[in-house]
Formats: sequence, structure tokens, C-alpha cells
Amino acid sequence: MSNVDTVSTDILIIGGGPSGLATSIHLADTLKQKGLNHRILLIEKGSSIGSHILSGAVIKADIFKSLLPDVDFAEIPLNAKVTTDATVLLSENGSFKLPVHVPYMSNTGNYTASLGQICRFLAKKAEEKGVEIYSGFSVDEILYKDGKVIGAKTIDTGIDHHGNQMENFQPGTKIEAKLTIFAEGTRGSLAKKLIQKYTLDKDKNCQVYSLGVKELWSVPEGNIQPGEVYHTMGYPLNMKEFGGGFVYGLNDNKVAVGLVVGLDYEDPTFDTHDAFQAWKTNPFISKFLKGGKLVEYGAKTLPEGGYYSIPKLYTDNALIVGDSAGFLAMPALKGVHLAITSGMLAAKTAAMALSKNDFSEKTLSEYENFVKGSLIYKDLYPVRNFRQGFAKGLIIGGINFGTLLITGGAGFFGKLKSHPDRETTKKLKEFKGKPFKERFKGKLEFDKVLTFDKVTDVYFSGVNHDEEQVPHVKINNLASFDAINIKEYGAPCQFFCSSEVYELHTDKNGHQELRIHAENCMHCKTCDIKTPGDGITWSVPNGGNGPDFQNM
Amino acid sequence: MALTIISLIKQVPLPTEMRMGDDGLMDRTKAKSIINIDCQFGLEAGLQLKKQYFDARMIACSMGPGSFEVALRTAISMGYDEAFLLSDRKLGGSDTFATGLAISTMLKHLGFTKDSKEPFIILAGRQTSDGDTAHVPSQVAESMGIPQATFVETVKADGEGNVIAKRIIEGGYQMMKLPMPCAISLTPTGIPPRKPSLIGAIKARNSKITVFGIDDIGLGTEKIGLGGSPTIVAGVVNIVSERAPITMSVGHNETALVDNLISNLNKGGNILEKKEAAEKKTSEKPEFPYYDNRNGAKGIITWAEIANGKIARPSLELLTPARKLANELGNDTKIMTLLIGKNVKDQANILFEHGSDEVIVVEDDKLEEYLVLPFSSIFEQVIKERNPEIALFAATTSGRELAPRIGMKTGSGVTADCTGLEIGEYVNRKEKVINKPILHSRRPTYGESKLATILGFVYPQISTARAGTFEVPAKMEGRTGIISTFKPKLSNDEFKVEIQKTVRGEGNSVNLFDADVIVSGGRGTTTDGLELIKKLAGALKEKGVKAEWACSRVVVDEGFSEYARQVGQTGKTVRPKLYIAVGVSGAIQHIAGMKESEKIIAIDHNPKASIFHFADFGIVGEYQDILPELIERVKGGFTFGIEPAKN
Repeated sequence: MSNVDTVSTDILIIGGGPSGLATSIHLADTLKQKGLNHRILLIEKGSSIGSHILSGAVIKADIFKSLLPDVDFAEIPLNAKVTTDATVLLSENGSFKLPVHVPYMSNTGNYTASLGQICRFLAKKAEEKGVEIYSGFSVDEILYKDGKVIGAKTIDTGIDHHGNQMENFQPGTKIEAKLTIFAEGTRGSLAKKLIQKYTLDKDKNCQVYSLGVKELWSVPEGNIQPGEVYHTMGYPLNMKEFGGGFVYGLNDNKVAVGLVVGLDYEDPTFDTHDAFQAWKTNPFISKFLKGGKLVEYGAKTLPEGGYYSIPKLYTDNALIVGDSAGFLAMPALKGVHLAITSGMLAAKTAAMALSKNDFSEKTLSEYENFVKGSLIYKDLYPVRNFRQGFAKGLIIGGINFGTLLITGGAGFFGKLKSHPDRETTKKLKEFKGKPFKERFKGKLEFDKVLTFDKVTDVYFSGVNHDEEQVPHVKINNLASFDAINIKEYGAPCQFFCSSEVYELHTDKNGHQELRIHAENCMHCKTCDIKTPGDGITWSVPNGGNGPDFQNM
Repeated sequence: MALTIISLIKQVPLPTEMRMGDDGLMDRTKAKSIINIDCQFGLEAGLQLKKQYFDARMIACSMGPGSFEVALRTAISMGYDEAFLLSDRKLGGSDTFATGLAISTMLKHLGFTKDSKEPFIILAGRQTSDGDTAHVPSQVAESMGIPQATFVETVKADGEGNVIAKRIIEGGYQMMKLPMPCAISLTPTGIPPRKPSLIGAIKARNSKITVFGIDDIGLGTEKIGLGGSPTIVAGVVNIVSERAPITMSVGHNETALVDNLISNLNKGGNILEKKEAAEKKTSEKPEFPYYDNRNGAKGIITWAEIANGKIARPSLELLTPARKLANELGNDTKIMTLLIGKNVKDQANILFEHGSDEVIVVEDDKLEEYLVLPFSSIFEQVIKERNPEIALFAATTSGRELAPRIGMKTGSGVTADCTGLEIGEYVNRKEKVINKPILHSRRPTYGESKLATILGFVYPQISTARAGTFEVPAKMEGRTGIISTFKPKLSNDEFKVEIQKTVRGEGNSVNLFDADVIVSGGRGTTTDGLELIKKLAGALKEKGVKAEWACSRVVVDEGFSEYARQVGQTGKTVRPKLYIAVGVSGAIQHIAGMKESEKIIAIDHNPKASIFHFADFGIVGEYQDILPELIERVKGGFTFGIEPAKN
């Protein structure tokens, strides 16, 4: 009907998180040094930069010195420098501070921060350097010509639930770019398509993920000091489940608390949000929150596969950076400095390609060499077999980790395989452990003071979606979903989703149907990762939709 | 002949963002700004017209601080070409009169006048969420001297230089034909605003927004700003909600949810903690002399609106505050009522019996249906002859466009949608006098969270009174008064706007006013054509309860119900003992019609629906699940604690 508008750019960056912003900043700087002038366009789906950004976060802040050599370090909106850093082993009601640090987990010299705030700052710097940033626009399609990426297109808007054009239909805009950089964050919906189309994951381990849920609290003076950092192991997780909690003391009597759980757990009724609430009731945690108030809530997934799960990072006219590529260091759970590093290396590659005016695979393959020579490699290679080892539980994982430390990461068995998280979920009948609800009996009545039900928590994410649009989460196969997901697995999505998107409704006659409340979605993409069988596909909704994180 | 489409927009704090701070006050610092929702519908209406006139020049205009540029850039990213902002410190504190004057001066400066050779259409939002007056579009139109239509849902051009507008009226709608140039204000029920496009955002980034100061457009300071505005805000107080916080039902299926609702109902729900109002600081009243600045203006004039050939209920309600004000003013103050229409003289008796002292009748076949141009002209002429001190209108869709248009003619300010009217005084520290008597008009604002008191210093002082707020005065059988006839001078120009069709539902078949229980269905209940809504009302009736079903406006629009059952701003204002809102999202227009109900139960699938803020009891769930369960309970004898009516 309407003709589609097209814009042209030299570089298109999809995603305004740390990796995309770092790419744009470093590229603008490099081009300036070379005396070159090229257009850099960065598109972000959140209503503003930072609104979809969530991280713990304790950050290795030195990275900003290399990214922004022209900026005074004091200007960077970090929070507090880490003063206390301890790992605590929790039981249901008890706690035991470990006398030593888990290797690779020391936070000396690091800073607590709101990654959203940092991204807002980086965006400001990028714009000062001439980068054009457009937030509130979703890119839902990769454009190809002759089998090669030539850019991307923003989503068509003004479409009803059934996909029909309404009177306010507005076609998306085509963005033609010499080089497209995918910086969509964890489980990027376009990066996923790109990886599939060019089998960039050939001979690689599949990516595995964790789900992190986080609350930001405002607490009375004295509950915690800025810079106090605690990581917890044990409760509410058992020996077979991977993950742990965190408590970060921030300035202005704020505290960030969260629980990160490996999505390779077996219990189909496991609920990370609810486990997180139970975790907060441990006296060691609750003392920090006493008398305080919930300020914000959010959830996101983290790619934890490590070195062996990183796909090929380039194809003709395209690069992948940050979490979309899976740059995250385990067991420290740190990705921000790696995201920024990968962005800077992608920028270096892009600058080279621009001066040669050659964006072929051959030129872009330099990016992977840069990565191998960088701190990414130094951070990831020694722990390349870390996460896979924990698939068999904490004890075996711990022994494996021990051997890794001795053997410099190789272990005794060479490359360990990983398995897609969806496949580790057991059917209701086959799951032999204690089901989640029994395990946490008495802990799942939420008092709305210390603990909150999902709906209340979701309110604190500021989430919002346009009513009129095609629901952005789609069950891939309705028939198999009913027969397998609901009947055999008991619809795990109703439990693993931390934003109450999925509701299994049972009527009086016992008939069950899945109801989808896509408007609650916080864009963590767990459903795309963890749904057994034919699964659920998450794609981008209208631009500007989703959570509205302020200080996450 | 290129058409220009001018959209007037205002930037406002996002209503849902207006969170309560620790002190219970609205925390505006955290609120994000958006283009006022109604204005967004105005922008979209312009873009729809562009489909018919693809070469139309698209202009967005605003008045306010420099930060309003953001809104104007959004307009460009939606598809507008140019943007102009009137921004000047001297405009600070302008009331709606001054705002209308300033905006129209800017438009004239840009070359748009009623005599322009090139046609243009001015589009605006019906009202803003931070002002709620709905005055400015009327005032701009009057100040420009062009025809207008307000409360319009959709616009189309007829290809012959006219605009066809669908105007929402009480109980129905009108199709109107307006010649260009004209001004139209849009309700937020038409075509929803489109999302900005990336290409538009890129254009907006590179566009220059022209910012004018008042000197640039040749606007003097006499009639603008705090000093020049005819009205002032004399005080603002918080409205303390009279409704206790909602009690939500909990349960894992409909049976449990309904069980929980019943037990909550029995317990009686939450109780509102009455906080003792802080001691009011009475500032010393200075020893200024009293000054009566009426300058001979005397008497109260009201308008008797005719709908379906009868005097509309809100026009009778209006006689309650009118009588109260007349008594407070004393000195034999009379109530005059202007009755305009075709063969309406006989209805004067009804007005006498409800309190009018004099009825001024204007009869003309051409005046059978209300039209803003001739009606405002007639009022202007009557006011000139009679010199009343106060003019009152019911805040109906007609009253709310007629009053500001008249106010622009007389230079008076207008206070919109009042819920309280009384005579008081004003300590004028600047002139060292106490103005007395003066009309204190009280109106809720900021999303019904504050009550503002507005005073006017130009006579007549004009206010519109919210429908359903005042009771119809008791009928005084046999009371009579003076009937006088008035012959206005009307030119053909005043009949330029043509009403092509008026659709108005009959209001007689149902009586929502007498029902003890009203079961009301919203957009969310149209899946089964309101079958379950009707069944629940029916089940209650079978138990002897005076129950009726009703609905929101969308439901009527979609043809599922007659207009007579519509509750809300353009429908009925009801006060039953129990109002059950099902699938009603809680748009402020609907709330206005039901919030005085004694008890409110809300059922909706969306836990964030704003209806829950106004209800006593709530259930989150699909109505197809909850209602059958409720119906079964009613059949078993449960009547929500409402006694069957005694016959």
C-alpha cells in the first residue's frame, strides 16, 4: 500500500546497550583520528536509552578509561567503590561467610553502578561525537540482497491483534547500511535469525543462559554501606541448581538485591521470581531490607555458555557484539567490560572496513582476531569449561572447577559440551525431585512488605505495551503446545516467566488453556530459551514498549 | 489551492506517571512529559486528512516553555512538516481566555485569518489532562472569527472546501458540515495516534522549530499573563478521596475469587481513615475597604438547553446553584433563563416551576438544533441588553463550547465544569480593596486530584456546572414568572455550519436513575454482545432487586446497546447503591458518570485498569469466567447485600 521510506547510512548499530554505545563512541573517535566522516546510526527499542538496561551491577570500571580517554573518570556516573566483598553460604535461615573468595570472583577495585545510568551517559557522549541515536524504534527485520545483509527495517505500526492494518498504519523505515552491527543484548531476536541463516554457530556449543531477577530498594540509613558487596550461594537453590544471589550497597541508602539462576534446572514448576522472594526471607538478606521500600523490579537473562558458545562473530556486512555474541565472564558474571571491549574491537574493524570500503567477510574476520588478542580471551579462555561442568550439579561442577584451576581451564576431558536449556526441563512425571511448591511451602505467601507477588513486582518495572499490535510472543505450534507443554510439562512458562505474561487458566470443568498477557513482558526472553518442545518465539513489539527501568 | 492543516498541541505530564510521593502528594518531578492525549488524536486527524489532500501543508503549533519543543518534534516525526512555538515569560499564568488570544494572534501572524485565500483547518485536542477546561479551541475559533466544532470524533473533507465532522453529543452524535477555514477539537475516541516513524524522527532531528516571543507576533501584554487574564486561580486544595482503598479478591479460580468477593462484601471492605484536616492558617484580613466592581451588572442568566424537544436535565439541575447564588447575593437578584429553539415557549413553565424568575424566549425554525455560532451571538446580544453579573451553563458538550465562545466575545474568563459555586470576597492586595461580592467557582482539576477556586473580574462571570453534581430543584407546582421575547439580529454568516444529521437515542425506555444496582459492560464485554451483563442484571431482577444493565460509550458506538443505557460524560450520571463495572477500563469520561455510586465493584482482566482506582471491590479475571459464577450465586439468593425493592 504505502511505499516504504528508506534511509541510508554507513554504519547501523542495532541496540543501545553498553556494547552498541561503545561501538559507536569508539568508531566515531577512530574515524575522527583518521580524518574520515561517516554516518553512524544507532537504533534502540526502549523508549529511551537505559530503559531496557538491567544489570547487577558491579563493574570493572577501568574499561571506561580506554573507551573514553578524553573524559575525566570522575564524570562517569559510577556508584560506590567496592569496600567489602564477601561470599556467603546460605541455608534456609542461616548464613556462613566464606573465609576466602571463590577464584575469579574478587571485586577489589570495582564499582557498583546502575548500568542504565551509565548507558545514558555514554549515549550523551556518543551524540556529542556525532552519532545519531534514535530510541523508541524496534527493528524487526534484517534486509538482504543477493544473500548478504544490507541493513534492517523498523517494525510496521498501526496493526491490530490479528495483523490487519488499521487506519493509523505507519510502515516501518528501511535502513540501508554498508555495515550492520548487532548489539541487541542477550538472545537478540535478529542476531538469532542471523546466526541461523549463516549457521554462525556451526561446531560451537549451544548457548546456555541464566535468568536474573532484581529489585532495587530504598532502605533506612545504616542498613548497608555504599560499596558493601555480598554474593550468596546455597539457599534457595539446591546442589543441582546453578546460581546465587547478590546484595550491592549503593549510594543514597539504595540497595540492589537479586538472584541469578541457571536455566538448565530440571523442575518444570521452578519459579525464579518466587525463589528470589524466598531468598529475601533469609535473615542475612532481610536485615538489609528492613524498614525499606521497593523502588524498581526487573528481570533479564545472561548468556553463560562462555568461550565455546560464542558464535562466529561476522558475516558479509555484519558483526555481532556484546551479550548477543555471549561475551560474559563466568563465574564472576561480568559482561559489561567485555561488551564494551567487543564494541571497541568491532569499531576498530569497522573503521578499517570503511577506509578500505570493503565489508566482506574477509575484512571483517579481523574482528575475531582482535577478540582473540584481547582481554575477552584472557577472561573467557581459562574458564571455557566452567559452566558446562555445573550442568551436573554443584559438587561435580566444583570438582571440575578445581581441575580447571590446576589445568589452566582444559580440565581432564577437553571441551565439555553444553545442552540447550529447554532440553533439561523434565516432564512432570519424570521429575523426581521435590516440586517447587512443596520445597518452598510456607514461603510463597507474599506479605507485600518484604516479599511481593509477580503482578505487584511487575508494576515496579514501569512496563507498558501498546494494546493494538500483534502479540510479540508466539507459541510456535499450538497443537503440540497443548499436548506436550501443558499436558506433560504443566506449562512451565507460567512459572519461569518473571513478569506474569503466561497464565494457565483452568475452568470449572478442568479445561486448561494458556492465556498470554504480553503487555507485562520485561523483554528477558526466558520463554524463547526455556520453553520445551516446539517452544515460544519472542520478537520485538512496537518501539518504545517494554519496561521503563530508571536505575537498574 | 493548497490546504494547510494546523494542529494545536500541548505538552503535559504523563497521567499514569503522576505517582504519589511519600507525602501523599502527586510527585510531578518524576512525571514524564507527553503530548496531551486529546491533542495526539488531533494530530492523527490531521494526518488522516492528509490522505485526502496529500499535498497539504502540515503545521504543528504550541504555546509554553522551551521544553515544549520536544512535543513539536514528536509531531514532525509523526508526519508534520513545520512547527511553531510561542514561548514568552510574559505569558506565564495566562488563563484559557489569554491562551486562546495568544494562539490566535500567532496564527494571524503566520498569515491565517478568516479572510485568507488559501483554506486551512485548525485541529486541536478536546481538552488537556492538566487543565481539563476544553475552552481553548472555542476561544481560538472565536478570536479568529471562524466556525468551530468541538467534541469531534472523526473528520473528513468533502472535496468542496468543507469539513464533515462527527460531533459527539449527549445520547448520540451529529454530522456537521463546516466551511473552511474552521477549528475542530477532537475527542480521544477517534482514530488513535500513529507511532512516529524512524524517517520522521530523522526529519524531526534536523528540523528547525520557530520560536516566537510575544513581540515577534505583535501581541501586547494587556490581556495576557497573570496580570492580563480575566480570571485568576484563588486557591487550590487537595481533593481527599471519599472512597477507601480497593479490596481486591484473591483466589486461583472463579469460584474462589467470587467466594472471596462475597466475604469481602460482608466484611464491608476497607474503611477510609479520616485524617484530621490540618488547622487552617487564617491569614489576617487587612483593613481594606470593600469595593463592588460589578458596575451595575445584576442578575443571573442561565441557558435552557433543548434536547429531543425537551429541556435537558442538566439545565434544570443548574437552577439549584443559580437559586443558591441569587439568595447569597440577596438584593432581589433574579434568575433569567434564555430559551432558544423552535416552538419552545410552552416549556417556559417547566423553568418557572424549577426556579427561573424570567424566561427570555428566542424562537426561530432555524434554531431548532443548537448551533454554536447563532447561539453565542444571541447570548452576546442578550447579555449586552440585560447586563447580568453571572452566566451559568450546564457543562454539557454544547455548554462547554458555547460558554467559552461567549466569554471571548464579552472578554470574560470562563470556569469550566464546576462542582461548587458560591458568593464570596477577594482580598485584592494590589489595589488594597476587598472585592465583594464575587463568584467563587470551584472545579476539580489535575485528574480529579485537586479542587481549584477560580475568580473572574470581568462581568458577566461565566461558569459551567458539571452535570449530575447538583440535584434538580424540587418542582414548585403552579409557580410562574415573566416571559419575554427577544428578537436577535443574526446574519447568514452565522448559519454557515450545517447540521446534516442528528442521531439521538430516546431516553425514556430505561430508567437508570432509579436503579439500585447497575451492571455495566465496557469494551471488554462485547465478545458475547453483553449477554452475560444482561443475564446478571436479569438474575438480580428476578430476585426482586431494582437492577438495570448499562454500558460505556464504545459499546453504544459498536451497536450493542441503545444510547439510553450509556453511562458517562456524554451519557448519564448515575448514583445507584451498587455499580458493577465489568470490562470497563475506567476512562475518565466513564468515571465521571458513575463515581458517585455508593459502592463500586470492578471486574476486569487487566490488573492495571484504572477502574480499580475508583472501586471499592475488585476482581482481576476474564468476565466470561467470573460472571457465570456470579449469576449462579445470585440465583442461589446472593444479592450483593441489596434488599429487594418493596412493592
